[in-house]
Amino acid sequence: MLPFLEWCEGLAVSQAYRESLWLFTLTQSLHLVAITTFIGAILIVDLRLLGWGPVRQSRAGMARSAQRILLWAGLAVLATGIPQFTANALSYPRSPVFVVKMCLLAAALVFTATVRRRVALADEGGLPSWVPRAVGAVSLALWMGVTIGGRLIAFYG
Amino acid sequence: MPSIIPALEWIEGLPWTTAIRESAWGYPIIETAHVASIVAFTGLVIMMDLRLVGLAFTHAPLTQIQRRLFPWQMAGLVPSTATGLLLCCVDPLRYYGNVFFRVKLVLLALAGVNALAFHLRTYRTARRWEDDPRVTSTARLAGAVSLLLWSAIIVSGRLIASNWFN
Repeated sequence: MLPFLEWCEGLAVSQAYRESLWLFTLTQSLHLVAITTFIGAILIVDLRLLGWGPVRQSRAGMARSAQRILLWAGLAVLATGIPQFTANALSYPRSPVFVVKMCLLAAALVFTATVRRRVALADEGGLPSWVPRAVGAVSLALWMGVTIGGRLIAFYG
Repeated sequence: MPSIIPALEWIEGLPWTTAIRESAWGYPIIETAHVASIVAFTGLVIMMDLRLVGLAFTHAPLTQIQRRLFPWQMAGLVPSTATGLLLCCVDPLRYYGNVFFRVKLVLLALAGVNALAFHLRTYRTARRWEDDPRVTSTARLAGAVSLLLWSAIIVSGRLIASNWFN
């Protein structure tokens, strides 16, 4: 792992990020806008799964429309997140908050792409009513955990 | 014109604002709650805006989405405003002198005016056009303006913590 982290830090991009006063801050600002859009698309479907959102709309329809936002906003989150990581690649893995955030992120992504996706797109009569509710609650907890973890990196980095 | 500075100094000197400022946990907890509730509130506002500009949820009638999302938007707005005011009280002089803080306040006011104008005028006639995937041009404009303003609010909020122009 160490050679990879060293390679990350040695990249020209990483160097530019470490030396620039505004590049890092500006990237973080865009990271936040992308995250907010991403979480909005997560929330609207989670609320629907919990039975609190726009319930007259089909679950699958909402989920499919949200999926496109998740994809585009997710790409923007990644694009703005990766240079932040590579710039200080060697120090982040030593931060417990960063490690927890990334583990939560991995769990949230896997859950969203598998269980949540299948339940959201499933036939609405075909599942007992507690299933979508439980899935919505787990998704909400995971993604809010990722968001909060991300903010805390800056405090306890 | 009387200066606001003595009032800010008084707030900054209060025992409870001093206690929060000097505690190790106070500021991070409030700040994190501020960010989390902003993400929830603004995220749902952005979903509504994307519906307005016709980029998402176009199959759903506008008023239905808005009516069902509104309580949750408020559930994000109330704590984000409360934590925001609290943060202001903890370090009022620093924020008062910060250019991005001032920009953020102006943008918030503009976003408020945009939302109010939309609800008082455009939204009133929503029943006539809400089923249309492509809503009226005024409504699309309101959505686009809101998207721009809220993105700029998030960016300026982040920039308050930067030390440019300080």
